[in-house]
Order: sequence, then structure tokens, then C-alpha cells
Amino acid sequence: MTETPTCSCGADEPRRIVFPCAGQANTGQLSNIAAVRLTEEGFGSIACVALLATGAEGLVKNAKNADEVVVIDGCPAVCAKKIAEAQGIVPAQHVIVTECGIEKGPSRSYTEDDIETVVAAVWRGEGRRRSTKKREPSAGPSSGCGCGCDGPC
Amino acid sequence: MVTIEVLGTGCPKCRRTIRNVEEAVKELKIQADIRKVDDITEIMSRGVMLTPAVFIDGEEKVVGRVPCVEELKELLQG
Repeated sequence: MTETPTCSCGADEPRRIVFPCAGQANTGQLSNIAAVRLTEEGFGSIACVALLATGAEGLVKNAKNADEVVVIDGCPAVCAKKIAEAQGIVPAQHVIVTECGIEKGPSRSYTEDDIETVVAAVWRGEGRRRSTKKREPSAGPSSGCGCGCDGPC
Repeated sequence: MVTIEVLGTGCPKCRRTIRNVEEAVKELKIQADIRKVDDITEIMSRGVMLTPAVFIDGEEKVVGRVPCVEELKELLQG
């Protein structure tokens, strides 16, 4: 039997699950669209952090069995990371949108460049490196959203 | 000077790999010749069935996935 050689792209990518915080502000919305884009590009599979918060057994099991869990939070409140950790899931990579140079504001709008900035940061593995850097304390209106992270949204 | 070849046909993952390679080279401040190999015949002739792939000085280092910048830096320093 003759084997037909095939060339498939990225078939060896680790099995990754991506949890965006999907918060209501621009940065939260951006985390969500970035996770969608990453799923489309074959980086991993987007999953629902709200479902994770309920402790849904299937999702928790999937996340624990994944090669990598990636969390994208919109702001320094790091809600999605806290939710993951509350379920015993330690992200291999944690990206915070406001630390990618995108300011949190009252608008829910974002640009294609903003999406690319976050998606590229995840592909580069910025969230792995960040965990080894000293975190700057959050301050100012851009870090707050009225959800417990110090400011108006 | 190190020669880094990125093998891939131009899909988003191949483009991400090239960008990560460029970033790693920039961060390490090394001289590198970064080449894009997008000819499928050449890719296959190297025995690469899964793209993207990264070769450093002719040696296969990564196949079938996008390496992150830190991994590339380690490979380049190794």
C-alpha cells in the first residue's frame, strides 16, 4: 500500500483550552474576541469561564486534562484566573489585556489592531513570561470597572 | 551568523512562527539570517509532514506547532 504524503498545518499543537474573562468593558470584550480568533487560528479551544465558575465537572476535567490552560483577563482584577484557580486549575499562560498596552475605558469598542495585539501576545507566549515578572500594582481609572477592581468602568 | 529557516506554506501559524522567530532574534540581539521556505516540494523533501517547522543551521528543531518566543530563545542559545 502506498502512503500518500500529506502536509497538515499545526497538527502537533498542544491541546489547549482558552478561558477569556469576557468582562463587560472593552478589555473584557477584547479578551473574548481574541480567544475566538485564537480558536479560529488553531491555537486552542475557547471555553466558557462562567461555566467553569459553576464547577461543571466535565469542563473542569477537560481543563485539567488539557496540555495547557490559557487565561486571558481584561484587567488586573484577573477574574478569570481566580475562577480557574478556584477550580484547582493553574494556567500555563496568563495574559492581561491592559498589560498589552490597551487601556480599559468605558467604551466597549476595540480595533482590529487591538485584537491582533492580544492574539499575538498569546502566540508569543507573553503570558508565560509575565508570570516571572514582578507585577505592577493596579491603579488609576483604566484598571477599574466597578466589579471590585478599584474604579468606575 | 545563525541561519533560521521557517518552513510553512503561509497559513496563520506559519506567519506567527516567523514573527516569533523575529522577536526572539531581536530580544537576543543576535545576527541571524531568517529564511521563509514556502515551497511545498522543498518542505516535503526535508521530511517535514507537519508545518510550521523551524530549522536552525540546517537542524530540525520544531515541527508541527508554533514555538513561543522563550522556547525559540532557548533553542537559539542552546
